Amino acid sequence: MKPLLVPLLFLCSLAAQAQESDLFDVFEEDTQHEVVYATFKGTQLINAVTNETPGEGVLQFMMAHRFGSFNDEYLYNFFGLDNAQVRMQLDYGVTDRLNIGMGRSSFLKVADGFIKYQLLQQQQGTRTVPISITLHSSTNYRNARYTDGIDHTMSDRFSYMHQAIIAKKWNRKLSTLVSPSVVHFNLVPTAQDPNTTAHITLGARYKISNRMALTGESTLLSNREFSSGERYTTPFALGVDIETGGHVFQLHISNTRAMNGPYWMARNPYSATNGGLFLGFNISRVFTVKE
Amino acid sequence: MRQIINSMRALLSILAIVSCLSLSGQQYLTRQGILTFDAGSPLEDIRATSNSATAVYDAADGKLGVQVLMTSFEFRRALMQEHFNENYVESEVYPKAVFKGVYKKDRAIGTLNIHGVSIEVDVPATLIKAGDTIRLNASFVVTIADFGVAIPRAVANKIDPQAKITVDCTMQVR
Repeated sequence: MKPLLVPLLFLCSLAAQAQESDLFDVFEEDTQHEVVYATFKGTQLINAVTNETPGEGVLQFMMAHRFGSFNDEYLYNFFGLDNAQVRMQLDYGVTDRLNIGMGRSSFLKVADGFIKYQLLQQQQGTRTVPISITLHSSTNYRNARYTDGIDHTMSDRFSYMHQAIIAKKWNRKLSTLVSPSVVHFNLVPTAQDPNTTAHITLGARYKISNRMALTGESTLLSNREFSSGERYTTPFALGVDIETGGHVFQLHISNTRAMNGPYWMARNPYSATNGGLFLGFNISRVFTVKE
Repeated sequence: MRQIINSMRALLSILAIVSCLSLSGQQYLTRQGILTFDAGSPLEDIRATSNSATAVYDAADGKLGVQVLMTSFEFRRALMQEHFNENYVESEVYPKAVFKGVYKKDRAIGTLNIHGVSIEVDVPATLIKAGDTIRLNASFVVTIADFGVAIPRAVANKIDPQAKITVDCTMQVR
């Protein structure tokens, strides 16, 4: 035993010496483990909802416009500004993952409430989670009068959207989302028409500088004709995100004017091929209410 | 003869033990160092704290190092933290801020690397030994522009171009 002890101790002292020469090696062990942040700039991509939430204690106010179409007396209507559709939204980060809010859109005078929860967050580092999954549900109430002469019940006016937003930040520039969604209208034109329809929204953003990004989105399975002859089209939008301090400006062109999930996703009557293109913007401002 | 060999062995053992202890006993380390960052102005409160800075010190040759992961800085506002990482220090490209140098006569002298830019620094610092621990304290100012971090004109009056950094790391014997 004893003869072994001496060389062992020498080895130990050598090891200590080796350690000393690479003092700063300890820095290599500092591994980044983090929840992936800033997958998208805003809580909305354009119309599509993203995985982002405002964060705990943050109140967000959002103002959105969709201007009149290019083929609707464009200059007479002052570049479409005269017949803009407006949406105002107020939402709050209850926790970093939970977001609740409400909004009012002038298109069919729809009021809505929504809840959003980050079920799974994308993570990197010591533990890798490749995607994020966020659940989002909205309840929408149409305030606009019906002109069909039928006495409608209150429940006729409700519509709903539920979706799972699967988002991934591929690198610092490119992020994408795929959102399987279900839309339900309590009232449809005839009994042959489905109350519930399924849709898939695809979206992406590509950063062109630290504060600017290009965005695009489209929703599949929305192109259908109802028995009443109403034809609904595939919504799409292209835009640019500009960020300054606590604001995010989103400027875009789309073939939609409604800003409530069920309406722009499943009841979009406009088509780019016959001039149904609209300029629009979303502006969001955040206020830290609770620090 | 046998006696001599035995005493030689004993001596070597003692030497080995001593050298082993002394060498390992000269290094100090923490991974829970506190680093603060303040670039606030009367218009905006821009402060952040990291509680997971790594600091290492070798008492034998005075080598001193401090490292912090940029994403470990916590701001009071979530959006400010996101902007800090995303738009200013670009944490995904430059995840760490590192100081490597020596401690000499109440000064930390060496290289400070932030945002991929290395700058030679010589700032006041104190090392106070208390039992098995050594506490490093430093407070100094860095010019944000020196590290290639751009401040847009729109927010220039909200951000102090001279950020104040404080370091408070209590290191244990390694």
